[in-house]
Amino acid sequence: MDKNAIGRRKFLKLGLAGAAVAAAGPKLLASNSGKARKSDNDAEETHSWAMVIDQSRCRGCGQCTLACQAFNDTHPDIEWNRVIETGEVGGQQTFIPVPCMHCEDAPCVHICPVGATYNRADGIVMMDYDRCIGCRYCEVACPYGCRSFNWEKFDDDNPAIPTYGQPQVARRPRGVVEKCSFCFQRIDRGLEMGLKPGVDQAATPACVVACPLGARMFGDLNDPNSPVSKILAHHASFRLKEGLGTGPRVYYLPVHNEESEEVIEEVPA
Amino acid sequence: MALRTRPRNILFPTWIAVLALLVVAGIVGGILVFSRGLIITNLSDLVPWGLWITIDLSAIALSAGAFLFSAAVYLLGLKQFRPVARTAVFIGIIGYSMAMLMLLLDIGRPDRFWHALAFWNIHSPLWEVTMCVCLYFMVLTLEVIPIFGQASWTRRRLPRLSGQMIRVHHLAPILAVFGLVLSMLHQSSLGATYGVLKARPIWYRPGLAVLFIVSAIVAGPALIVLASKLTSKLSNKVSVNDHLLDQIMRFIGWALVVYLYFRFWDALAMSYTYEPARSEGLNMLTRGPLAFNFWLGEILLGIVIPMIILLSSRFRRQPRLYLPALALVVLGLGIYRWDINLVGQLVVAGALPQELVPVYTHYVPSLVEFVAGIGVIAYGILAFTLGARYLNVVNHDEQLSEGEALKIKDLPPATAKD
Repeated sequence: MDKNAIGRRKFLKLGLAGAAVAAAGPKLLASNSGKARKSDNDAEETHSWAMVIDQSRCRGCGQCTLACQAFNDTHPDIEWNRVIETGEVGGQQTFIPVPCMHCEDAPCVHICPVGATYNRADGIVMMDYDRCIGCRYCEVACPYGCRSFNWEKFDDDNPAIPTYGQPQVARRPRGVVEKCSFCFQRIDRGLEMGLKPGVDQAATPACVVACPLGARMFGDLNDPNSPVSKILAHHASFRLKEGLGTGPRVYYLPVHNEESEEVIEEVPA
Repeated sequence: MALRTRPRNILFPTWIAVLALLVVAGIVGGILVFSRGLIITNLSDLVPWGLWITIDLSAIALSAGAFLFSAAVYLLGLKQFRPVARTAVFIGIIGYSMAMLMLLLDIGRPDRFWHALAFWNIHSPLWEVTMCVCLYFMVLTLEVIPIFGQASWTRRRLPRLSGQMIRVHHLAPILAVFGLVLSMLHQSSLGATYGVLKARPIWYRPGLAVLFIVSAIVAGPALIVLASKLTSKLSNKVSVNDHLLDQIMRFIGWALVVYLYFRFWDALAMSYTYEPARSEGLNMLTRGPLAFNFWLGEILLGIVIPMIILLSSRFRRQPRLYLPALALVVLGLGIYRWDINLVGQLVVAGALPQELVPVYTHYVPSLVEFVAGIGVIAYGILAFTLGARYLNVVNHDEQLSEGEALKIKDLPPATAKD
């Protein structure tokens, strides 16, 4: 997969570099080709963020979505984290929450005509709302349907505030595409404060903190002691549409009958 | 001029008035979209590309005559097609301006339309299309400058400028090279824009890039011939070389054969084995809600019937047959673009591993989408009508084209005397 990307990258560069350099000089070419921004190179490459969602613990309550809508101050029609009903296992309804997968080889990053969406060094797929032109190509290209367009200006009160949290992010303007950011602001601020994302709540994505059943985990795949590394080492997991080769950073632990019963006992009514 | 002075002929002013009215309605629609946002369209996160994208794609494809005839005349040396190339570049610049107007309305942040030129993502087919369209628009502008230079008003009022504008024509061979390269690139990349998306299995195939350029090569010239023939029928000032246009129609007939061949294998290859979302998409085209468009609009009326008419030298002599045939080719291209754009969005492959059944979505354009879209189309027809009347863009008069060739050489001393 990686090999392919490099091969095509080389091919494109060989083909286009000549024309590009002749047309407008190498300065522009260097400025952006869907890679990390200058300012984001500081985001430490030693981290590799990932989320684990345990299907056997999820009861579809939707607290994660509401917390996300409050913290990220999204339009009520926009859900960065959809909770989808899936089939029944052992007479128990199962759910699958779908945030942005923060793909390693993200289709949206490849095709954004202006490079408004890009991979940060720590793996987070970022959105540059100041650069997005609102062409919605990324919405068409995302295999997971995780992107939302701001069809209208959002002036009204956010019904998720203050019940589910306080906004920590500025509202996006009309006409740009937005999506789950892995709450990178919380991660970055937490790291500055010496906190550990995935362990300390203030440095962990809002949905993970909000989940009352502990179905979500977050952490650094490069750190063998992080919650996600530990659980992925001992549990079977799957990712959505792995066959596409996108390399999602969101892992799911499939429903396991005995486990789900255990969880039910744990949850206070 | 003769038409205008005769009071009994109200056809032309009425035609202009109707088109102008539609343009004004379109402008009102555009203002509404700019002020209230895309919320007033029927587009959604599941179907974010609709009628306007179809008009974009069709306008660009139907402008393909410009690069084809420029290349034929100035690169292949088929000099006899020079007057046709003149019509073609004029229609070309109208088509590209239509596409840019439509896109400006369609993107969420029209104030940032220039971002694709400033912030490059060379991996994006859409970036490549944007760059090519902008560069090609410059090429087309240079190609139509002589047409404006030759206009009687310019020659009378600004003789010196007129001479300079006509002399831009010396660049024609170089412009033809650029036009050919840029058009081959973006006409196919528009197909690749869809074809590289693995998220949409019905689009994800290399054939789309090929089909987009082949269909453009078919329909672009069809629009040129149709516009030329209609203009010569409706105006007594304009004369066209029927033999020349007959040759082009024969070419379109054969090009339709090639196009049908590609379409056949493209569709057949997809019909083997079940693939989630792709098979549903194909079903939607061939048996579902798009089947009427597909079989009747795209294949029967868009390809097969015009192909038969345009390949028969007997049928090609009858305006009653070839005019509808050319119109059907043009319309068939629009329907093809509409269907291909929509089919990938109406079927959404489920995100879940155990979910084989795809989600079906729905899209019918809203009133404001129709009004703005029709406004852009009316602008195109209006611009062509005015060009045909005042800029002489359709004129195959042998004397004139010879005269033009002479004037290019003779004009500088002549203007110097003035």
